[in-house]
Amino acid sequence: MADAEAAKSLSGLLNGIAQKVYYNNSEITEELLKSELFPELPQDAFTALHDKMKGLIKSIATADMDHAQLEAFLTAQTRKQGSGGVNAEQAAALSRFWKSQRVRVRESLLSQSRWEPGLRGLSWRVDLQTAASRGDAAHSGPVALMELELGRAGQDSEFVCLEFDEARVNQMLKKMADIQESIDRIVHRT
Amino acid sequence: MASSHAKDSSFLGGRIPPEIESMSKNLKDVDQEIFRKILKAVVSALEGKDCREVMKAIAESSTIPQERLSYIIAGMYRVLSEAIRIPTSSLKQEAFKEDLRELRIPEDFITDFSSVVFGNRRAALEAATSQNDPHLPTIEDFKWRVDVAISTSSLARALQPSVLMQIKLSDGSFHRFEVPVSKFQELRYNVALILKEMNDLEKRSILKIQD
Repeated sequence: MADAEAAKSLSGLLNGIAQKVYYNNSEITEELLKSELFPELPQDAFTALHDKMKGLIKSIATADMDHAQLEAFLTAQTRKQGSGGVNAEQAAALSRFWKSQRVRVRESLLSQSRWEPGLRGLSWRVDLQTAASRGDAAHSGPVALMELELGRAGQDSEFVCLEFDEARVNQMLKKMADIQESIDRIVHRT
Repeated sequence: MASSHAKDSSFLGGRIPPEIESMSKNLKDVDQEIFRKILKAVVSALEGKDCREVMKAIAESSTIPQERLSYIIAGMYRVLSEAIRIPTSSLKQEAFKEDLRELRIPEDFITDFSSVVFGNRRAALEAATSQNDPHLPTIEDFKWRVDVAISTSSLARALQPSVLMQIKLSDGSFHRFEVPVSKFQELRYNVALILKEMNDLEKRSILKIQD
């Protein structure tokens, strides 16, 4: 029973560190983690545990370890003597944590190295122009209106509205096919 | 309504625009050769071309005083732009001619006007005038690059492809943004969907608005 509690607290600590370090959740603080998860532990011991786990997660995340790499890494850590090493429970908790958070942590780390505004979303509409101040336009074809939502991490979005006629949409689609081809070439090679 | 000769059904509406009234007064005794020169210049103006030089040449070479000439040009521009506004299915050539006759415009000039409005330049004129409708900017230039991040300050082995796009819009602005592969798939899918919608719309003739 005590073991189950300890494992739960440890998982909580790992997830708390991830929230703080990788998901920009400023509500989670070291003090909060201490008082909620390890109220009994002396401050020194908690700080040591917290820093050790934070360091381990960082090593795992930076290398983006897959399952085999993680097992090898944790085995090496458990064999370490003294306070630098991890015990079996800690290794198990790290393994569980990484299994569930790897994709999300990787995504967060990738976005830390993105500086250009990114495409956040798009919405569109197809209209048929029927008339205009200068003339009847019933003969003109459909018009596509597109709104691109662009933004840098942590900043508000900027919206760009565009208009396309059919020929332009077609051109755009051809370029998209070129881009796809170029992505496929890289992805299939690796 | 005393000043107006128009019937209610005139393509110019219930009240004749002042430019057109002044034009019809000033067109008397104008040589047809000069009229045709002006007409050509006005048509190219409607097509959005720069006709300042042509107009200057006309003004210098003709004997018509500049003030009269400007009434004529303004009126001709208005006649043509009003006539082109109305689809040919609604404004018949005969009705158009009849409306101009009521303004006491000489018959030869009416024939010339009519050949512009109902002739083979009509499509080009419509296309040119539709350029002046309010528009959102369009993409003038689109450049892209596919990058693979190998290693970053946060990730030792990123190996993550991404697309960098740069678009130049018709309003002169530039936008550069990064598109992660998953977003790129979404973008491509939506562009394809738009094209499909546009194609479907053209097939469905119920939406072709008839008057």
